[in-house]
Amino acid sequence: MAERALQQIISQLKSHPNAPYNEASKLLSKAKIALLQLKVVTPSPSTPPSHLALATELYEAGALFSIRAKNAEAFTRYVSQLQPFYELADDAGSGSSSAEENRNKVTGLYLLLLLTQGRYAEFHSELEALSTRARGSEEIERDRYLGYPIKLERWLMEGSYDRVWKAMKSREVPSEEYGVFSEILTSQIRSEIASSSERAYPSLPISSTKSLLFLDSEGAVVDFARHRGWIIRDGQIFFPAAEGAEDGGDEKEISQMVIENALGYARELETIV
Amino acid sequence: MPGKTPRSNSNEPVENGVRNNKDVDMTDEKSSMKGKGKKSVKEGEDMTVVVPPSKSTKQSSQPPAADAEGDIAMDDTDKDQELEVKVDPVTQAITDIKSNFALLDRAVALFDSRFTLRALRSISSLRKRLTPEILSQVIAETFSPASASAAVAKQLLAAIGKGDVLLGRQSNSDMEIDSDSKTPKNGSKKENKDTIPEIDIFLAILIQVYLFDSKQFQSGAEFSKSLVDRIHTLNRRTLDSLSAKVYFYYELFCEQLAPLPPSPRSPIVAIRPTLLTALRTAVLRKDIDTQAAVIVLLLRNHLLTSHISQADLLVSHTQFPENAANTQVARFLYYLGRIRAIQLRYTEAHEHLTAATRKSPASNCALGFAQTATKLLLVVELLMGDIPERATFRASNMEQALRPYFLLVQAVRVGNLEDFETTIAEHADTFRRDGTYSLILRLRQNVIKTGIRMMSLSYSRISLRDICIRLHLGSEESAEYIVAKAIRDGVIEATLDREHGFMKSKEVGDVYATREPGEAFHDRIRACLGLHDESVKAMRFPMNQHRLELKNAQEAREREREMAKEIQDGDLDDDDLGGDFEGM
Repeated sequence: MAERALQQIISQLKSHPNAPYNEASKLLSKAKIALLQLKVVTPSPSTPPSHLALATELYEAGALFSIRAKNAEAFTRYVSQLQPFYELADDAGSGSSSAEENRNKVTGLYLLLLLTQGRYAEFHSELEALSTRARGSEEIERDRYLGYPIKLERWLMEGSYDRVWKAMKSREVPSEEYGVFSEILTSQIRSEIASSSERAYPSLPISSTKSLLFLDSEGAVVDFARHRGWIIRDGQIFFPAAEGAEDGGDEKEISQMVIENALGYARELETIV
Repeated sequence: MPGKTPRSNSNEPVENGVRNNKDVDMTDEKSSMKGKGKKSVKEGEDMTVVVPPSKSTKQSSQPPAADAEGDIAMDDTDKDQELEVKVDPVTQAITDIKSNFALLDRAVALFDSRFTLRALRSISSLRKRLTPEILSQVIAETFSPASASAAVAKQLLAAIGKGDVLLGRQSNSDMEIDSDSKTPKNGSKKENKDTIPEIDIFLAILIQVYLFDSKQFQSGAEFSKSLVDRIHTLNRRTLDSLSAKVYFYYELFCEQLAPLPPSPRSPIVAIRPTLLTALRTAVLRKDIDTQAAVIVLLLRNHLLTSHISQADLLVSHTQFPENAANTQVARFLYYLGRIRAIQLRYTEAHEHLTAATRKSPASNCALGFAQTATKLLLVVELLMGDIPERATFRASNMEQALRPYFLLVQAVRVGNLEDFETTIAEHADTFRRDGTYSLILRLRQNVIKTGIRMMSLSYSRISLRDICIRLHLGSEESAEYIVAKAIRDGVIEATLDREHGFMKSKEVGDVYATREPGEAFHDRIRACLGLHDESVKAMRFPMNQHRLELKNAQEAREREREMAKEIQDGDLDDDDLGGDFEGM
């Protein structure tokens, strides 16, 4: 009974990928009740494989819906629910290519989410887990869904922001769900560029800043500059000097530190001798 | 004992000639035992000699007495069975195993784990000589069938496939006499003395070692499981270091079983609850040895299946005991360093790994650990932007193993992306086996940074196009962003000119004008002071010595009081007094 209902809901969800989130979530909660009846909310080795596949599909659909609705929390929840299913699937060693593809899609999205939220530690932990999965890591990089966030991370780390930009704009984006992150990524790299420019350039002409920051117009540049507190003069952007006044205080601090240290040594020596 | 020899003589008159011969052997054996006793024990010279029952009612002298008896009886067996062999390796092994029992007994009696540790240390020398025959013989001779631990002994025997061996067998022919001679002696004591659990766990560990070396992983895992259950029911502080060892082998067995580790169905996942329970119990009992060992095992367990976040949670929720054994600390630091390296917390990782490599034993017995830790340390150093010292690669026992890493370091040092990529491609398998591959892939950005730094140092002004060509970067724009990022991250001191497209290096300031040297100095002094503190903590003082001092002090004080009294009475001159005080 529950099984058939579940199948129906899944096919319904799949046929309307653009259904509004409210409707989808109603269907999803109905499906979750069905899962409860089948006792596959959390998998165990004794669960029949057909139920496992159904549950996995449902959770994946849920994950995709929540990412389309930009609901990061719900997405993370779905991903963690999927984790034990994936581990069981790993075990069985089976898994059709379509299941594999879905899995990579969700995992790739999760990686991207971690990346945009700046949770690099978790990103790399996840990556480590991926590379110990049966396949070699080159294959992971070549995978359409998994390779994308990995490449982005590498470029972000080395600072090739233009490549990130190009990758986001071009056809390289593996699927529409990945587009959700483009906006966040754009603002992220923009602020990265801005903070490095503050240190790297003495001044910048507005016209070239436009292309540097991937902004559309000079007006947008001016807005952005105001937002960051930059000074605009004669078509040039000057960056307010952050330090300079600190030197005096620094000097004082150093001598204080030296005195403190020396006193500390004296005390320690006394306890030894 | 005196009653025994003549009797057995009368039983086997035929072999008399040989017997005399052997008797010499036997005494040799005995004297050597005695020598050992002297070494390890101060007051117990009469330990190996059979003690009259009245004396042996108290603690430690009792079981060794039984040991000596067993030894002699055992010699008798040998005499019967192997007439020709003079120093039999089997006998030797059995004696060696048994000599550890004395240590365990002392550990229990004096409540000092040092003796247990000494017994455990002998495992490595016993390891190669273990056979089911030797083990079964030792077990049979150690346990008497009447004692409460007979069931345990049966289990031990079953584990090595010798379930049919009878317990309490002293020797085949001497059976009767033995029981005869025993009754008068033991009768005066309350009962047949029970074998202490430490001894049977020790034997069980030997069996684990044997099963592991003979690759009987399945039966080893099952045996370990029952052993762990048994340990859990015993609450004895003197068992702590032994049980730590038991868990260690349990984990090792499970790692070798069918679905090998990376698979989530591997048995190591299934034993996590057991280990966690063990950890909880250990913490509650303040059982430091087990606690440390189990934490390390759990970390290893999680890392094998790449459950890094779980491992991290484990670390944050447990507290590693401060005064754990050095080996466990080294392992713990290594695993911790590994977790931190994966999480990009390189500074911490570096700290932990450095400590791990320093704490690893200097001798060649743990070379594998030292190598693995060093490999990881090298990669982390590279990731931090440091270049490891050349001397690391020259050490004779490391050179071979570190070769791929040496090439890698060279590529990073020069900042040559091409070399770097070819090195990775060539040694990918090695790196993957070492578990450093994904970390090494992260090095790409460091190579670029090093390249930029080299260029900034050598040119006061260089165009972005040149940078792009030298470093094999994709485009000039990329180069610009990368250089800007490098400037922000403090890799180089320079400015960019966007209109003309070049990078201008700033004059390098005087390092000695900054606080850097002071900080480095401070760090070193702190390290030295820390070392001093730790060595003071590690010092051992004889037990109860302070009481003696207290007594002395008390006496001195009394004398002083007397003197004061005398002064009051006016009996003493000032001169006398001064002299006296100096004397004190």
